[in-house]
Amino acid sequence: MNVLTARAAGLIGCTRCGRVWPGEASHCGRCGAPLAPVTTISLQRVWAWWFAGLIAYVPANMLPMLRTATLGHEQANTILGGVIELVAHHNYGVAAIVFIASIMIPVAKFIAIGYLALIVAHEKFAGSHRHLHLYEVVEFIGRWSMIDVFVVAILSALVQLGFVASIHPGPAAASFALSVAFTMLSAQNFDPRLIWLPPLGTDKA
Amino acid sequence: MNDTPQPAELHTTPAPPPIWSRVSVIWLVPLIALAVTLGVAWKSYSDRGVLIEIDFADATGIRPGETALKFREVEIGTVEAVSFSPDLTSVRVGVRVDKTIAPFIDDEAKFWLVRPEVSAQGISRLDTVLSGTFIEGFWDAAPTEQTYQFTGLDRAPVSPDPTKGTWVELRAEDAGGLAEGAPVIFRGITVGRLQNLRLSPAGGVLVDAFIDAPHDKRLSSQTRFWDTSGFSVSLGAGGVSLDVRSLASLVQGGVEFETFSTGGSTVQNGRPFRLFASVEAARNSIFGNDLVDPVRFTLLFDDAIEGIARGTKVHFRGVEAGEVTDISVRMQADSVGNQFARQQVVIALAPARLGLDESTEAEVVTEFLSGEVENGLRARIAGIGLLGTTRIIDLTDVPDQPEARVNPDLEPFPSIPTAPPAANELAASAEDVFERVQALPIEELMASAIRAMDSISVVAEDEKTRAVPGELAGLLEELRTLVDGLNAEGAAQKTISALDRVTSAADSVLTEIEGLGEMLASTDQAAQTFAELPMGEIGEKIDGILGDLRSMLGSEDAERLPRALSDTLEESAALLAELRAGGAAEKLNGTLDATQDAARAVGDATERLPELSRKLETLVSRAEGLVAAYGDRSAFNNEILTTIRELRRATSSFGSLARMIERNPRAFILGR
Ligand SMILES: [Zn+2]
Repeated sequence: MNVLTARAAGLIGCTRCGRVWPGEASHCGRCGAPLAPVTTISLQRVWAWWFAGLIAYVPANMLPMLRTATLGHEQANTILGGVIELVAHHNYGVAAIVFIASIMIPVAKFIAIGYLALIVAHEKFAGSHRHLHLYEVVEFIGRWSMIDVFVVAILSALVQLGFVASIHPGPAAASFALSVAFTMLSAQNFDPRLIWLPPLGTDKA
Repeated sequence: MNDTPQPAELHTTPAPPPIWSRVSVIWLVPLIALAVTLGVAWKSYSDRGVLIEIDFADATGIRPGETALKFREVEIGTVEAVSFSPDLTSVRVGVRVDKTIAPFIDDEAKFWLVRPEVSAQGISRLDTVLSGTFIEGFWDAAPTEQTYQFTGLDRAPVSPDPTKGTWVELRAEDAGGLAEGAPVIFRGITVGRLQNLRLSPAGGVLVDAFIDAPHDKRLSSQTRFWDTSGFSVSLGAGGVSLDVRSLASLVQGGVEFETFSTGGSTVQNGRPFRLFASVEAARNSIFGNDLVDPVRFTLLFDDAIEGIARGTKVHFRGVEAGEVTDISVRMQADSVGNQFARQQVVIALAPARLGLDESTEAEVVTEFLSGEVENGLRARIAGIGLLGTTRIIDLTDVPDQPEARVNPDLEPFPSIPTAPPAANELAASAEDVFERVQALPIEELMASAIRAMDSISVVAEDEKTRAVPGELAGLLEELRTLVDGLNAEGAAQKTISALDRVTSAADSVLTEIEGLGEMLASTDQAAQTFAELPMGEIGEKIDGILGDLRSMLGSEDAERLPRALSDTLEESAALLAELRAGGAAEKLNGTLDATQDAARAVGDATERLPELSRKLETLVSRAEGLVAAYGDRSAFNNEILTTIRELRRATSSFGSLARMIERNPRAFILGR
């Protein structure tokens, strides 16, 4: 598929409102956002946030997410441990939600963003609509991966019954929230225009 | 048309931006994230506690990751893993212990599981019902070599902290009513607990008593412990008394202690003490607390050993030196092979009471006794107490015994040869007392008194007496007064009262003795014999004689006096005249005055018979001297002298009896 990109046409698109301007413009005349040229340098930010998210994701899975104290018994569960426990208690629905929200989606996001960042500026894949869809899915779904953090936050706030039962967030909750935030930033820093960018060497702008 | 040639399009490639501008600052974010994560990881790794392993018999309630290890009720670690020891006999619990406290956990450390417990003292550690079992540990603040492998205690120690009291080891024959955790009582206050009740390898039972500070100051090496388990019912003059020390001690037993004597040294942890069966045993035992395993010997008796029981005293040459610890029957075969039974008595001896050092070895004691046996020492059953009713084993020198030796190889303990039981010496001596009482010279006394009366009668009946001059009448009157004095004022009465005292003394002796029907009867009989003595009769007889004398002397017809007496009287008169003429009248008067004085003195001092006796003695000697000075001219003189002598004897007999009784009635009865 042969697509004419704004860059090829000597124009520069506003990443905020979508209006295109001549290549020399430095700011969008409509929304005032700075106009950045399409360059793979911006991928650095994607990767940086991506790695930060990945690093934060490791303790998020290793440290306990929830500390549950019931009648003096204190129990600390990691995310995966909690899922296994839920399965053991036959709460398959909740287990599935927690598993999808806290493990599958973040992992999928890492893979998706990493994949997109790797294949852009690759001649073979340039101008792929599928990549755009993938990017949109990642953008959309990103906020939902906070569902686990919300659950922990809500439970911690609600279940404070003293000795009978109380729930406190574990250190993993913070890590997980950071990880999600970092991956969202990573996704946001991804310049979708790169999807349409031909390989750098072949760029005849 | 524009022919102006266009400059060739300039192909320029912008110079690549310098590396520092190409690298986004945003890379700092993952770097910081990485640094923080690694930092946290490293910190948690380096702060990770020390893993120790504790072996427990079972792991009831232990959950990895949850069960806590506590020190003084503060959580200092968590169980990390539960596995088995290599031989699968115990559960190995891996505990991650706080790094700061781990160095103090040395080989002295103790660990035990804390669970809810229901005991006679109540329910404890109810909190663990909800919070779950936890492991409690205790160690001191002096870290020695760090240890990582421990064996947990089966149950919580009564007081884990040894600085909060003193523990001593009690040794008993059997546990009786004792139970784990039973109270240790001092003057009714619970000051400690028993723990670790166990069988002793040497036989018997061992139990540790932990006495809390500051009550452990009450302990000394002289302290004695006894078992207060259960209750005791005693029936006495005050009715039935039920003694229960405390409800807890009723249910699970208890131990009480008291220091009966002073001079003990301070008690160190782990010192062994003997646990006595009762407070009396504790108070009376001659075995010190050190002597938990006293030297024992076997005695084999052919004769019946009735009255001997466990706890019967053993005397060594009259000094209490031990007690009987066991009685059984031992079958033995004689040279022909006939089986016969002998009574086997095992005795325990305190070396200190044998004159040896307190901690003398058994071999040395055996050697010492071997020497004694060669010199005639034998064991025999004897009776002590006033009447020999209390049986003991007496280790004493018994003469004329066949040669015998200590058999050091006899099982179970070396033997000491025995001798036939001693004759009941005290019973014999009691019999002796009554023999003495019966053998008292009462008859003799009576006989001599009667003889004296007879002599007086003879004098009185003699016709010559009727011619006795007035002075003689006066003398006789004085004699009468003397006898009257003896009779009315005292002697008989005194003797009877002395006998009363004898009786009461005998009674008091008897009341001191228990179960003595026969002896009592025999003493009563003896006392009765005294009481029935014809003292009154004697007095009457004397009265009668004196009456005769008086009437005889008072009668006018002196011519009816026997010729001989008349002669004698005449002679006497002549003698007196002669004496008067010879200037000796004063002498005679003096003599008679002396006699009168003596008689008066006797009359006055009937209470002081010995003096009377002495004065009579003087009188007799003076009379004798007088007679000797003037020749044996008168039978009357002789009669008088004889009479006086008899009276003297009688008086001295009474005197010595009275003196004897007066001085010490008890000694009189006991013959000592
Ligand atoms: Zn714009």
